[in-house]
Amino acid sequence: VIRLIGGEMPGWNEDRPPAGGALYGYLTDQLPAGSRVLVAGPHDPALIEALAARTAVTCLVRSQPEAERLDARGLDVLCGTLTKLTDADRWDAVVALDGVGRLCSVEGPQYDWTECLRALRNVLLPGGLLLLTVENELGVHRLVDPAAATVALTDDAWRPLGEFDDSRPGSPARLADRLATEELALDWLGAAWPSPAAPTLVATADALLTGPAGALSAAAASAVASAYADRAVLSDPRRLAAAAVRAGLGPELAPAWLVLARLAPAPPATGAPETATPLRLPPVLLGDGPPAGPLPTGRLLEELLLTACLRHDLPAVRGLLTGWMAAVPDAGPENVVVAGETFTKLDPGVPPRADVLRCFATTLLTGGYAHPWPAATDLRTLTAILHAAAGLPGDQPAIPTDEDPPIPNSRRDQEEQLRSLRRLLADAEARAEVYEQEIAKRDAELTKARVQIAAFGGSFGYRMAKLGYGVARKARQRLRKRA
Amino acid sequence: VHHANHFYGHAHVLAEYCGLDPEHPPRIDGYVQHGWNVVDGLGIGTPYLPGRPIFVWSEQTRRRAWSMGRRQATVIGAPFLYLLRFAAPEPEPATRAGTIWYPFHGWEGQQVKGSHGRQIDEIMATETGPVTFCLYWNEYHNDKIRAEYEKAGRVICHGYRGFQWRDTDIRFLHNQLGELRAHRRVASNRLSSAIFYGAAAGCEPAVYGDPMHLEREDLAVAERIRRQWPELHGKHPEPETARRSALAELGDGYLASPAELRLLLGWSLDRAAVPA
Repeated sequence: VIRLIGGEMPGWNEDRPPAGGALYGYLTDQLPAGSRVLVAGPHDPALIEALAARTAVTCLVRSQPEAERLDARGLDVLCGTLTKLTDADRWDAVVALDGVGRLCSVEGPQYDWTECLRALRNVLLPGGLLLLTVENELGVHRLVDPAAATVALTDDAWRPLGEFDDSRPGSPARLADRLATEELALDWLGAAWPSPAAPTLVATADALLTGPAGALSAAAASAVASAYADRAVLSDPRRLAAAAVRAGLGPELAPAWLVLARLAPAPPATGAPETATPLRLPPVLLGDGPPAGPLPTGRLLEELLLTACLRHDLPAVRGLLTGWMAAVPDAGPENVVVAGETFTKLDPGVPPRADVLRCFATTLLTGGYAHPWPAATDLRTLTAILHAAAGLPGDQPAIPTDEDPPIPNSRRDQEEQLRSLRRLLADAEARAEVYEQEIAKRDAELTKARVQIAAFGGSFGYRMAKLGYGVARKARQRLRKRA
Repeated sequence: VHHANHFYGHAHVLAEYCGLDPEHPPRIDGYVQHGWNVVDGLGIGTPYLPGRPIFVWSEQTRRRAWSMGRRQATVIGAPFLYLLRFAAPEPEPATRAGTIWYPFHGWEGQQVKGSHGRQIDEIMATETGPVTFCLYWNEYHNDKIRAEYEKAGRVICHGYRGFQWRDTDIRFLHNQLGELRAHRRVASNRLSSAIFYGAAAGCEPAVYGDPMHLEREDLAVAERIRRQWPELHGKHPEPETARRSALAELGDGYLASPAELRLLLGWSLDRAAVPA
């Protein structure tokens, strides 16, 4: 059933995909069965249907064609702009995993972030739950984006405020404050990677502070690695995400925050039993839910190798390469955790690879990292050196020719490659000049030597004849000059 | 690339370590540091080809080379340490006695200034056992200087360093190792490669006496060396501290495996050997 509440957009289709993914699916699965839920804004139909199977779902969308598609699936739909939503109807829970940016249509007032939050709170029943995604305008995804949020690129960017919407919270602490102002108690707040639209890693501030920093920073790097494969970026988001987590700035620089907040319950009627059991969400969500076992301790091999290379600590580099090749030679360095002498796969589900040393050599070269073999500027030589430094047999390993796994296409790396190629070219030109001078010098020596060989080689008669001919020629030249 | 790679038979030692013919080492794709120094590892006046690696002994030297604009410095450790890896082990029990003394030496371009006589007096007053004087070929072939030392003890020379690939004594380091192992102490009036080699070969090192000086020498460098490595200076430095310091300067712990070294020097087996 579609109810048009006003301000709907008849010919409009959202031009970016809706919020979705397995991790969001896990979160909505935690809402109590049988409750009445408002799903506000565009969400993946699969997620809505899974939720509708357990709860009574009402959707709120601004696009009329989308409302019709939801209706065709048998869902209850409110179609229109958020400002037309009244508190005539209220819900046990509001799900806004797409954030609040696509709730107002072009018609009518344009609510800022806080006004949207208030409008959603107003339709919650006392004690009702709000599941909300808040994009961080200073998140890693923004910092590496070649395009600014304030550049209107898509049809839905009719008011691209970006970081200039001062009502946006800006940090996890301010987010908690804004919720409190709206009488929403924060039950749980998680930092999310790699994007607000489809996070694959969520961790609470406490987990990021007290959990295994190596595994969590590796998980953040791995989450952005898959999301940014082959995508144009300013700098490598894997390093930025991991460095932020290691530095204790994970929540502040995560692309989004997910919150579960609760409206203050109505004062209990005397004698009525307390029925609401608080909803507990886990501290870490990875992929489609909480990780199967405890996260491994230790540091990511790739980061340890890069550190040892940057320090020019050859014994450490050789030790790490040797340990890696002995323990898990088919796992990329971004999927190996090192604790003391133990090398373990971070995610055993990643398919094995034969070209891991070549891949690390690529990382060193394309990332422009300083390393102990600066004269090895081509991939083949550097791979062979890594192979030997790892203590593997054979001088020239058969280097697999498979494609490297796609990595973020970073402007900074491109700059570095340009700089490095210019340096190689300048060195080659300087060498060519030295060689040319050397050749000229040797040519002169050779000419002189040939004259001497001709003068002193051969038979006595030949030499005398030649000498006589030379004298005769000089005499003739002199005579000509005089003439 | 450069004839200094063959000085003291360095290229030959490295070739033997890599499993190649030690008599005919292939051309090295870069510059091997031929002696201990406090600059970028290259000798003075070496015509450097841009982009080619300098193979230095220690990480400290690499840092210094980087600061001097040498971007391709690669740490491999001193060739003498590679010799220790494959040379026959020291006979047991060790029969070490006395001191091997290396007077500060000159070369083709600069002669040493100072009194050898006064130096010998101080040495003989300090050393308790027999003293072997090891002269550099430059002083060894000077009859007057050699005679002065011969009056005080045994005088030897490890051989000729070589020049332009000619007359190189390719067993120079082997001779030196043999002599070092016959002595309990190694000493000189200047901190130099020989002191580091001696410490690595098991001698107690000492640096004392009139440091003398080279013609046109910048003495600030010699003073800087004394300030930076006090643990190696004096008549009887603490042996263990001195040895640790010496091994660090030689790049102990940084030595490459034969396979890795072959690749670094441009000697990989699939490449046609280029004569030096």
